[in-house]
Parts: sequence; C-alpha cells; structure tokens
Amino acid sequence: MVALEADAGRLDGDRAHLGRNIAILLSVLLLSVAILSLGHGASGVSAWTVLIDWMTGQTVDVTDRVVLFDIRLPRLATGILVGASLAVSGAIMQGLFRNPLADPGLLGVSAGAGLGAIAALVMGGLLPPAVAAAAGWHLVSLSAFFGGWIAMLTLYAISTRQGRTSIATMLLAGIALAAMVGAVSGLIVYRATDDQLRDLTFWGLGSLAGASWTKLAAAAPLMLVALAASPLIARGLDGLALGEAMAAHVGIRVQRVKAAAILTAAGATGAAVAISGGIGFVGIVVPHLLRLVAGPRHRWLLINSALLGATVLVGADMISRTIIAPAELPIGIITAMIGGPFFLWVLLSNRRTLDA
Amino acid sequence: MSLVARGLDVDLGKRRVLRGIDLTAPAGQLTAIIGPNGSGKTTLLRCLTGEIAATSGTVFLNGRDTALMRPEDLASVRAVLPQQTTLSFPFTVAEVVSIALTASPTPMADRAGLVRSALSQAGLPGYSGRLYQQLSGGEQQRVQLARALAQVWTPTGRDGPRWLFLDEPVSSLDIAHQMHVMETVQAYARDGGGVIAVMHDLNLTAMFADHVMLMCAGRIVASGTPQDVMTDRNLSDVYNIKIVRNCVPADGIWVLPQAS
Amino acid sequence: MTIRLTVAALLALATPAAADPHPEAQRILSIGGSVTEIVYALGQQDRLIARDTTSSFPAEAQSLPDVGYMRALSPEGVLSVRPDLILSEDGAGPPETIAVLRQADIPFETIPAGTNADGLAAKIEAVANALGVPDAAKAPVADLRADLAALDASALDGDRKRVLFILSLQGGRVMASGTGTAADAMIRLAKADNAIAAFEGYKPLTDEAITAAAPDVIVMMDRGEATGSHDAAYADLLAMPAISTTPAAKAGAVIRMDGLYLLGFGPRTGQAARDLHRAIYGSGHGGA
Repeated sequence: MVALEADAGRLDGDRAHLGRNIAILLSVLLLSVAILSLGHGASGVSAWTVLIDWMTGQTVDVTDRVVLFDIRLPRLATGILVGASLAVSGAIMQGLFRNPLADPGLLGVSAGAGLGAIAALVMGGLLPPAVAAAAGWHLVSLSAFFGGWIAMLTLYAISTRQGRTSIATMLLAGIALAAMVGAVSGLIVYRATDDQLRDLTFWGLGSLAGASWTKLAAAAPLMLVALAASPLIARGLDGLALGEAMAAHVGIRVQRVKAAAILTAAGATGAAVAISGGIGFVGIVVPHLLRLVAGPRHRWLLINSALLGATVLVGADMISRTIIAPAELPIGIITAMIGGPFFLWVLLSNRRTLDA
Repeated sequence: MSLVARGLDVDLGKRRVLRGIDLTAPAGQLTAIIGPNGSGKTTLLRCLTGEIAATSGTVFLNGRDTALMRPEDLASVRAVLPQQTTLSFPFTVAEVVSIALTASPTPMADRAGLVRSALSQAGLPGYSGRLYQQLSGGEQQRVQLARALAQVWTPTGRDGPRWLFLDEPVSSLDIAHQMHVMETVQAYARDGGGVIAVMHDLNLTAMFADHVMLMCAGRIVASGTPQDVMTDRNLSDVYNIKIVRNCVPADGIWVLPQAS
Repeated sequence: MTIRLTVAALLALATPAAADPHPEAQRILSIGGSVTEIVYALGQQDRLIARDTTSSFPAEAQSLPDVGYMRALSPEGVLSVRPDLILSEDGAGPPETIAVLRQADIPFETIPAGTNADGLAAKIEAVANALGVPDAAKAPVADLRADLAALDASALDGDRKRVLFILSLQGGRVMASGTGTAADAMIRLAKADNAIAAFEGYKPLTDEAITAAAPDVIVMMDRGEATGSHDAAYADLLAMPAISTTPAAKAGAVIRMDGLYLLGFGPRTGQAARDLHRAIYGSGHGGA
C-alpha cells in the first residue's frame, strides 16, 4: 500500500495548469485594455502624443496634461484596484459562505457603507466646521468606509461566540442588520433635499469619475494589502468547500481562515465602495465565470478574479466615459446591463452541470 | 500505541448524549462501533475526532491529548470519513482528493501519484477527471474514502500509527464494493494503522472487526471480540428485537458474502 | 441652513468668490438651466459651445453638446468640449471634478442663486459681468423688475389665496412643497400663500394634512404630456378623497405650468410670476 503509482504525467482532473494559462491570458488582456483605456476618452486627447511630448521635454498643453495625468491615469489605477477588489472579495465570500451567490453585501459592508455615504451627503453640514474642512470632499468616502467597517465588525461580534463564528448566524443577523441600516438610511433620506437625493442616486449607481491621486493614495494601501493577502487563505477556502468539520479534519485552522476571509473581503470592499460607490455584479459574475472555466480551487481563482475583475471594470469604465460623451453614464449601469444578460446566458448554457 | 478515551461526557444542547465513555482501541486492529439508531455512535466518533468538544473527559491519540494538538498535526495522524459530504462548488474528483493533502508533508511532485493510488485503492481508477457532483452516492462515498486514505497514506509513520475514523463507510455501497472497502480498511489495520468504524451492517462487522463496541443510550454496554460482544442476548436487548445468531431461516432466500 | 452654508463654504474653497469678466472667452460651457437662459437673454448664445442636461430652454440650446447632469459632471467630458470659460449655477459638482477643472486652468465662474427681484437681477448681472458685457444686462433686468413691480402694485380683491404645490403624484401619494423650496419662493412672488408651512422641502403629505391645508389652488408642473391625458389626470386628482374636500377641488382650480419656466429662476421669472398670479386670481389681475 505504501508504493505510489508511478507519475504518468499530469493528473487528469487537476486544473491548475488551466488556471495558470488563464492567468497569463488575462494579464495580457488587462494590459491591452489598460493601454486602450489610457488612449480613449471624451476629449480625444492622444495619450501617446502627450506622453512622448512630455518625455522629450516639449511643451504640453495644460488641458492635455491634466486629461492624461490627473484624469485618465488615476482613473485607470482606481479601476484596476476597485475591479480586482470587488471580484476577489466576491470569490472569498462565496468560498466562506459556500454559496456561489454570496457577496460582500452579506457582511453588512455595503449596507454600512451606504449608510455612511448617505449620512455624509445629507448631514455632513452638521459636523463642526473644522472637521468638515479637514475631511473636505473626502467626507463621503471616509464616512462610507467607516460605515462599512462598523457594520462588518458588529456582525462579526454578533455571530462569534467562544471563538467560533457561525456562518449561519452571520447570514441571518446580516439580514436583520441590513433592515435596521436601511431604516436609518430611510430616515436620513427623508430629511434630504432634492439636490442631496440626486447625489444619493448617483452615488448608488457608482462611478470612477471622482478618481484622483489623493483618493487613491488613501484607499490603495488597504486594497493592495487585502489583494496580496488573499492567496494566503486559498487553501483554507478549498477546505471549507468540504464543510467546516471536514476542513478542520484535513488540518485547516477554520476560525483563523474565517476571520482572515472576513477581514480581507471587508477591507477590500470597504475601500472600493468608499471611492467608487455601488458597483454591482462584478463580484458575482467574475468568480462564477472563472469557476466554470478552470474549476473552483481558490489558488488560481483568486488571482484570476483579480485580473478579470480589473479588466472588466477598466473596460466598463471606458464605455461609461465614452458612450454618451461628453456626458458620462454611471458605471454601475454598464456593469449590470452587460453583466446581467451575460450571466443569464452562462447560467442557461450550463444548466445541466448546475442541476447535476 | 492506541486511541484512548477516559470519562467522556458529551452534551448536545441541554441533552446528555454520551455518558462516562471509557474506551481503548489499539492500532493494528479494526474497531467497530455498533448500536441502534440514536445510541450515540456518530456523536462518539465526532467527539473522538475532535469535531465536537467533550463536556468532560479526555481523548488521547498515540498518547497525546487531542484537545491540545494543532489541527495540522492532528490531520497528519488521522483522517476522517463522514457519512455524507456535500460540496458547494463543482470540483473534480482529483481536486477533492488533493484538498486532503493541504497539511500533508507529501512533496508536490509525488502528489499526483498519491491521488492516483488512493483512487485505485478505493476502486475508482480513471475517475480523477470526473466532476464529483455528477457521481452516484456510492461513488461519492468512495471518493471520500480515497481522500481519507490519501491524507494518511502510510499506516505507520515515524511518530507512530496513523488512524482512519470512518462513519458508516459502506452505507451507500453495493455488496461488492462493501466487501472491497472493508478489505481495504482491514488491510490498513493489518499494516499497523488504526481503524475506528461506525457500522450498521452486523454481518460485515462480524466478518471484519477485530474489536466491537456495542452502544446503547449513550453508553458502551459491551466491548470485546465479535464473538463475545455479538451474543443473541446482547443484540436482542440493545436492538429490542429477537435476534438469533448463525441460524438459517426455514424458507426464503438470503445472501451472505461470507459464505463464498 | 447649516448644511447649505457648509456646502457653500466648501464650494467657495474651490471656486473664486467674485465673477471676473472674461470678454475674450469664445468657447463657453454653461451649466444650469437658468444660467443658459440668461446667456441667451443677453444675446451671447453664439459664444456657447456646450451645456448641461438641465439647460433645456430655449429649444436651440438643446442642439448643443450635453456634458451631463450638473451635479455629476465628468472631468474629461467637460474638458473634451474645450471650454475657455465655465459658467455655472450654484451647486455644480461633484467637487472632485471641479478640483480637476481648476487644475486645468479653465476659469470657472459660479453664479449666485437668487429667488427675489434683487437676487435675480444680481444673477443676470453676474452672468453679464462674467461674459464681459455688463451693459447687456440692462434690458432683461429692467423687464424683470417691471414684471415684479407690476405684481407688487396689483391690489387683491379679497384675501391672499392658499396654494398647494404638488411635485409628483406617484401611486396616489402626494409629494408637496413645504417652505424653503423654489416652488415656495414662486408662490410668494405670485402674491399667494403656501398652504403647507409645517415642513421644509418636498415631502410626501398624508391625506389628512391635505384636507387640513385646505388649498384654494393646486399648482403642478407640466411634464409635456398630451392634453387628453391632462384631463384624465385632472379628473383622477380631483377624485382623490383627500383632494376632493379642498376648495381647490370644488372650484376645479388646478394650474399646470412648465417646470423650468415656473421654477427655473432665470430671466423669464417675472413673466412666470405674473402668469402664475393671473392663473391663481383670474385674469384682470397682475397688471395684465
């Protein structure tokens, strides 16, 4: 029994090579979309002409310079980080909840961030002027971020007893918390003026239009740390797919994986939502698609989710910026309008696999 | 080297499910736990594997208190086969088996061979590319057995014997596969490993077990060789139905693999 | 009020306080329906190259490129029309976009809001100043002041009437204007009283509050539906139990006016106030 069968090449059913090949493909794709995105925009400024002029020391028109360095570049970087964060958080949450439809919303992050944003938009004026001035127009982002974290920590505290987090309790408490947060949001919305209501609507549809280096500098570290940490819980999430008890039996420290998964997803989502508002669907469609192609093992799933999420969001943002130029369509509308039907098509064409 | 439990009490909610369990299961033997539904067999197994904590009492595996062992150390000494495992995502058979190697010291280069060997051992050669969710219940159960075997592939290691904890390992299998699986785990015990199995089939128990523990209402009421434990009286009392051993019925047909 | 002050203070940080004259500007982006109207009233429309979504009057303005909703402008969209001057109503945003526009060295002039004769005159003059044509403001300002003065001079036969402004009637729920809104200001300009003084802003009204408010006249915005559906909408509105008990329903006094004309607070506001006054009190009033 000790003797192992001789290694006869790759093990049938081991899809790691697929994951690796897809990662290479997606990297190339992301690079192409990024280059395309830098070159396209409402203003028709050619990124390459500007870049070459700038590097060769020629005078560059101030508008062209602003378009390239203060609009398109920070926006591209924000798109990459936000897209990667949303998709990776989605994949992590689906692994943690053992459900392909889970998203970071179940952690209360979205509801909390929404409440934070609404409170800042409607009641920001009630803050002491010194605080308001210090936060400046980042008040909405900051408030959304802290709102998301407070909601998530509350939920975690409610569902953790004697060092064990009950995922089922978390799911149910999350529904209750979302209802309460919704009520408070409703109360604040009731106080809002017309202008504030318009702002709330646009916030909810999401946009990368507010991207700036300052905002990115504040949000990027958290998203980068979360993205870099995510591969560390890949094995743990694989184990959880067999069930919590089974995961422990194969040697996984289940509670540690759960806490790490929640922190990672909440950190990445909180930062992403804070700087871009509510962008839906990326977190569900991207991981689902990748599971269909290269299987559900998390090592490559998490990496590829980051790559595909970034590609999708940068692409969607390019459409959002150019389709009704010079005006702009909120990106949440694009992701849902393309993501929705595409997801349905994937579901219908894979019906047999799903039902089995 | 053995599995030892001392004074185990287990409460589920407010109900006491196990009372004062003392047991010793030596490595090198196949130990079967039998008893009627609700007698606490599965709870005992879950407590022995550390899945649920005992209200009081201690479990020692190879002389170490399991409550104090790190999950990855425990995983390198014992593998567990639960009654049923549902997967949340469409994994292939190969992927399910390799997930068991998470904490395994097996070098990456040898893992493909290990997965293949474990699948052949469970009677599933060539299944590694199939999707787990598309397999029958019996096939899924054998994939899980392969997963458990892969996790503790060598029955003995430098630090002592390895252990298999099996909860009704043959419940979904046809008679041929029942025999094959029981022979496989019996061989594991013969090679020095320890096997603890919760069993429903008394014939298979009598045929393969070296050691039988009969449970009733949360206690072990008899323990020893099948010959000593599975008496007409013990079985009749515990299962609450008249049972007569080694007696051929007057008419009808019956199927006993032992006979062949 | 605190909110508005702080928002104004924040915006003030981002934009220069007083409108500087820009007679040289030939590519002007106008943001806000009233500012665009004023540019046309000043005869300076040839210098406009783009507008925002709220700038829908006059009709010619709609042929200009649209850079989006004034509170959700995209920086590159605005830059892409290559403006050399941006004229904006108070409240354009988001602040991030305004900050980028400032970096691009494009003059950004915020025109202060105004809802009475002096405020509106100041608004028109501010636009004229920014465009470098201060004299062009004289005629529209004079017209505006004349209209509003005529209203002031007109005597009322009886009591001031109570007006209920209904913003929307979604699913039979009445969204009405309280105090502090553009509708409230317009009702006052037209020499009538707002029937709802209990709250600020636009809020849903309970049926009993409508009955208690007892409006003499109901004013709604005309959203450009076909005339036939108007009649049906009137009938539905007056049949609502809460509305049917009001003096307005008994007299059939429901007024519909174009939203931008009524609430835009631009150069046409004097005319609009007189029209509203006539509609409320009947012809023969408002110095007609």
